[in-house]
Amino acid sequence: MTAAAPPSVSPPATGSAGGSVTGVFVRLKLSLMRNGLRQSRGRTVGWCIGVGLTMLYALANGAGMIALRGNHYAPAVSVTVAVVLGVGWAVMPLFFFGGDDTLDPTRLAMLPLRPRPLLTALLTSSLVGVGPLFTLLLAAGAVTAVAHGPAAVVVSALSVALLLVLCVALSRAIAAANTRLLTSRRGRDLALLSGLFVAVGAQLVNLGLSSLSGTDGLHRATSAASVLRWIPPATAVDAVRSTGRGAYGLAAVQLAVTVAATALVLRWWHRSLFRLMVSPDASTIAAAPEASGGRDRSAGRSPLGLRLPSGRTGTVMQRQFRYMWRDPRAKAALATGLAVGLLLPLVAVVQHGTVYQCLWAAGLLGIQMYNQFGLDGSAFWTVMATIADRRDAEAELRGRALAIAVIAVPYVTVVTTGAAVLLGQADALAETLGLSFAFTGALVATGGFASVRYPYAVPRDNPFSNAAPGQSGLVMINVFGGTLTGAALCLPVLGPVVALHLTGHHGLLWLALPVGALYGAALAALALRFTAPRLLDRLPEILATVRK
Amino acid sequence: MAQEPDGTPPRADRGAPLPYYGTAGGSGQAQGGAGAPDGGPVPAVRVRGLWKRFGEQAAVAGIELDLPAGRFIGLVGPNGAGKTTTLSMVTGLLRPDDGLVQINGHDVWADPVAVKSRIGVLPEGLRLFERLSGRELLAYTGRLRGLPGAEVDKRTGQLLDVLDLTAAQHKLVVDYSTGMRKKIGLAAALLHNPEVLFLDEPFEGVDPVSAQVIRGVLERYTAGGGTVVFSSHVMELVESLCDWVAVMAAGRIVARGPLAEVRGEAPTLQDAFLSLVGADRRTGQDLDWLGGGSR
Repeated sequence: MTAAAPPSVSPPATGSAGGSVTGVFVRLKLSLMRNGLRQSRGRTVGWCIGVGLTMLYALANGAGMIALRGNHYAPAVSVTVAVVLGVGWAVMPLFFFGGDDTLDPTRLAMLPLRPRPLLTALLTSSLVGVGPLFTLLLAAGAVTAVAHGPAAVVVSALSVALLLVLCVALSRAIAAANTRLLTSRRGRDLALLSGLFVAVGAQLVNLGLSSLSGTDGLHRATSAASVLRWIPPATAVDAVRSTGRGAYGLAAVQLAVTVAATALVLRWWHRSLFRLMVSPDASTIAAAPEASGGRDRSAGRSPLGLRLPSGRTGTVMQRQFRYMWRDPRAKAALATGLAVGLLLPLVAVVQHGTVYQCLWAAGLLGIQMYNQFGLDGSAFWTVMATIADRRDAEAELRGRALAIAVIAVPYVTVVTTGAAVLLGQADALAETLGLSFAFTGALVATGGFASVRYPYAVPRDNPFSNAAPGQSGLVMINVFGGTLTGAALCLPVLGPVVALHLTGHHGLLWLALPVGALYGAALAALALRFTAPRLLDRLPEILATVRK
Repeated sequence: MAQEPDGTPPRADRGAPLPYYGTAGGSGQAQGGAGAPDGGPVPAVRVRGLWKRFGEQAAVAGIELDLPAGRFIGLVGPNGAGKTTTLSMVTGLLRPDDGLVQINGHDVWADPVAVKSRIGVLPEGLRLFERLSGRELLAYTGRLRGLPGAEVDKRTGQLLDVLDLTAAQHKLVVDYSTGMRKKIGLAAALLHNPEVLFLDEPFEGVDPVSAQVIRGVLERYTAGGGTVVFSSHVMELVESLCDWVAVMAAGRIVARGPLAEVRGEAPTLQDAFLSLVGADRRTGQDLDWLGGGSR
């Protein structure tokens, strides 16, 4: 390696040494990209398709921006594009930190490199790649939409370059500042949960967009843009518009703001890098004993444990509850179920829909019973080593089912009652609740069976994949087979309810509540009893599947 | 665990036929008495015709083995010899293609109620429930084993203390170091006071201090009459710990018996092992630049 200068005391001259380090880093980045593609043909094809689509999107976006030229809303759109690019680059490290080795500066700590040439080299190598190219195309489109006149074109070039450098440096600075967090277990947990934040965020954006689609929506967008254009990556784009209007002073101020922001970000990055390179590596910190004795929240048993059934069932329930809170996957699955189970009835309330939308809450919580052992992963061996007979197997399944029921039954009751009251459909409450309980019971019943008969592995390292390679067929069996069978098992309750509606016996519909609740509970209990010997029989096969 | 072996469905009806089950009669108590080679009582572990294939490759190719009770037994072999596969099948974690495994006379696959309460396992490459703290993990495992809660808590406290984990008892296992994980896994395996303890690479990646602690606990356990079966490829360790060894290579047992017998004429177990598995030492003739003062 050309950069491996002899470990002399004198610092390497910034100019020449920095230049060679930059070359090494750019070549390193290119080799990493090339080697990533060489791993498998499928990966290469996938990468090419992804890049093709990204480029198509960028070009289409650019074409749209060019078409917007002269439009009243063009400035608002272009500053929004710039802000979205900035935010995108800022949150990217959270998602891709594990995937990009060059993002982790602690890997370079053993090399004789000084922060300043390292900064130049990392910045330059960060500009190589698909992401920066995509950003470049979008930024070019954004400035094209607002650039009027030769002076503005000259400023455009400067502003696109500034925007790109600012975005990349911001991303790197955030990654460097949070390296400790992102390489720690808590950081990886956070990354797993980030999918949930994105989903909720997308819903909020959706709500915002639908409120913008009103008559005065676009005016509101324009007034938002008047604030956005003073947020740094957007200042560069808006400087182009200011130049085109002849407001050179304003343009100069906006460019200065951009440069100052870039300088600040670079300085922050430099400080974080320096701190990272001279202080010990995160893994040692993590291994050091925590303030021991400080956390005594779980000494003995948790408050939850006091009211749980005795024996294996209660033990299993307690562990399930702890996992729902502590395991990011279990937490994300449950939180998604709870959030969407609330959101869909809310949509019904807003749109004056029907209280039957509340069945979603029951369905989304009931499906938590699916692939129980896949979520255990290879830790399933502990379960396996302690299940010796049919009773153990049944207690294990019952504990898992009860842990779900303890959450689902009150939640569904509250959500359904609330929705029914808000919708003014209180007379339909009893039948909806009855159907909900029957549906939950049916899903717990089929989910328990599917967990034993069709388990699949959940990969630990990839937060965005829900099945190990080659097992997606099993996921399909679970999702489609499970929901269809679950719905079919509800027919004994649904049929009479429909019949009572058709024959006009509305006075008897309240019967659906006790019948549905009893049916759901009995169905789940019977199914678990039926599944238990199969679990006992298939223990090694389940372990072999879920440990992948 | 006092559970009557009722309602256990016949488990030999899956996969390849297991010929020994017919003679074992399902009750698991059908040992011939003359099975142990040293004329002692029932062997702690008895393996007959054990096979496991993964695709074309036979990971375990017909193992016949009797492990004497109350001994410290080392299962040694190079990487890929089939140690982990064998231990997984012996402990009931992996279904064999063919063969018989008995623990103290009870068939592992026909009589799981009798076997699972009698063995403790520390597998390699399988996780624990890592989102529990060390203390919670032991409390959970002990209760799954059907031990009374108060007894579990008492044993948990003692095991954490002896294994030097008391300071980390409220830390999540996911944040434990390798040595701490092995120690908490060992505690979980010992909690129900098993008759036979199976440890797969218990000293792999463990620092010397933790290794010494684990060693002390294991020696105490065998002194009390327990049988330890552990796999390793560190010969010095096996030589210093074990009084009985079985050497595996390419899915077969190539030597077995008391340590001195297996070592034979060779100066160390390492030398005996290398000649048994047919590997001779290579000398680094091409690396003549290595270790010099110049670069």
